[in-house]
Amino acid sequence: MNLRKAMKDTLCILMAGGKGERLYPLTKVRAKPSVRFAGIYRIIDFTLSNCLNSDIRTLYVLTQYRSLSLERHIRLGWNIFNHELGEFIECIPPQQRNVDRWYRGTADSIYQNIYILQRVRPQRVLILSGDHVYRMNYNDMLAQHMETNADLTVAGVEVPRSQASAFGVIGSDEEMRIVTWEEKPKDPKPVPGNPDSSFVSMGVYIFNTDVLVKRVIADAKNHASSHDFGKDVVPGMLNTHRVYVHSFVDATDPSSRYWRDIGTIDAYWEANMDLCSEAPQCNLYDKSWPIRTYQEQVPPARVVAAPMCREQTTATVSVDSLIAGGCIVNGSTVVRSVLSHNVRVGEGAVVEESVVLDGVQIGRNAHVKKAIIDDDVVVPEGFTIGVNPEEDRKRFTISPGGVIVVPRGIRLD
Amino acid sequence: MKTVLVVDDEKHIRELYRSELEDEGYGVVLAESGKEALEVVDQHPPDLIVLDIQMPGMDGIETLEKLLGQDRGIPIILNTAYSHYKDDFTTWGADAYVVKSSDMSKLKAEIKRLLGE
Repeated sequence: MNLRKAMKDTLCILMAGGKGERLYPLTKVRAKPSVRFAGIYRIIDFTLSNCLNSDIRTLYVLTQYRSLSLERHIRLGWNIFNHELGEFIECIPPQQRNVDRWYRGTADSIYQNIYILQRVRPQRVLILSGDHVYRMNYNDMLAQHMETNADLTVAGVEVPRSQASAFGVIGSDEEMRIVTWEEKPKDPKPVPGNPDSSFVSMGVYIFNTDVLVKRVIADAKNHASSHDFGKDVVPGMLNTHRVYVHSFVDATDPSSRYWRDIGTIDAYWEANMDLCSEAPQCNLYDKSWPIRTYQEQVPPARVVAAPMCREQTTATVSVDSLIAGGCIVNGSTVVRSVLSHNVRVGEGAVVEESVVLDGVQIGRNAHVKKAIIDDDVVVPEGFTIGVNPEEDRKRFTISPGGVIVVPRGIRLD
Repeated sequence: MKTVLVVDDEKHIRELYRSELEDEGYGVVLAESGKEALEVVDQHPPDLIVLDIQMPGMDGIETLEKLLGQDRGIPIILNTAYSHYKDDFTTWGADAYVVKSSDMSKLKAEIKRLLGE
């Protein structure tokens, strides 16, 4: 089998058209895939980097809501494919070519773009989502897809059973053929031999193109359908098609299966915190699997001791944190936090377990704990966030997991 | 009586189909373009549509896309002199694909099948 040729005959479609309502208010002004992550990236960079590192160079990104910042990011950061060599990355907003409506679901987004498949005529289509953090070599999945002669291969991963209700839960036989599929069940089936975890779909699919086209057309005509791959299309194929699951492992670390769906505020916060741990499972520093992004030119991060601290032993403390370029952390304490570009942290301030996005200014002696602070917010001198729950509840969105979100544009006095 | 809409830019085909299908007991409505077909469907939805592909202006594929987008559930048979459109994904939304022939028995059989007769 010539895997290289097989990958060449595979078109990648990245779905980036969801509303991202559960990530509100971070998605108030931008699509979920373009939400800032890990200081310098956008969430979509992880999937796009997986494509690039897997040698996939024909990519369509289906956009829909609030796509301005996403399209700008792709234009500035990902315009690296050579059209003369048949490579491309193109954003496609809904064309409303055959319908007068937005996408009704993931399957409908492919249905509405069948003419693109006709134009490219790939053998297979790799369908990805723009809001997952993981490092995956799609060649491994394609190799299995070819070897098993599958019509559809779905990537799957084990997650704690307590979280599995958010996903499609997969049951497979010894040959990895999928035999059961329960979409978002209340009581997820455990993995045999491990009652605490379940095997779930990652929303990563390789379809043979003719099968994909037939299934999304049939789905579009089905009035009872919600037009979703996980809910409608895939479960409906189990008895009629060869549907297999590919068990995900990290692209370069076979012991890791780190995959996170950044669907909620809590998941977003936790995935950022994961990177602050002593040995993060998602390795951003592995040169064999680089994660690419677009960054504006900024000076190096500067961590300085304030004059008052210079003579004391308690100088600026910055530990277990990611600090992007352009930041100035001045005589303050930053612990288990992620600071994006151009953040200022004033003297005596304390920032703990927080995700601080671009251009935020944290005033002297302010205290920020377990919060996400969106772009350009000014936290005044002495202000506290995450310290007094009653006050916080009056002002901010607080996630079920207790993470406070301070939205863009808010004035704090 | 079930109604069949025949969409074809060639007059002699329309007339031939009218007489053949009326003999089969169908009511027959004619349209000479995709645009006219959409107007007919809007005003008097038929039970089935026989749709030519190569027509001036809006061709049969575009007409098919628009009809499918309306989601009316009316069966559509693509009926063309050419077989190569069969490989075009955008034609796969039709319920049948019948290559034009002087022998109309295949077309009539598909009409019967799709109307559940």
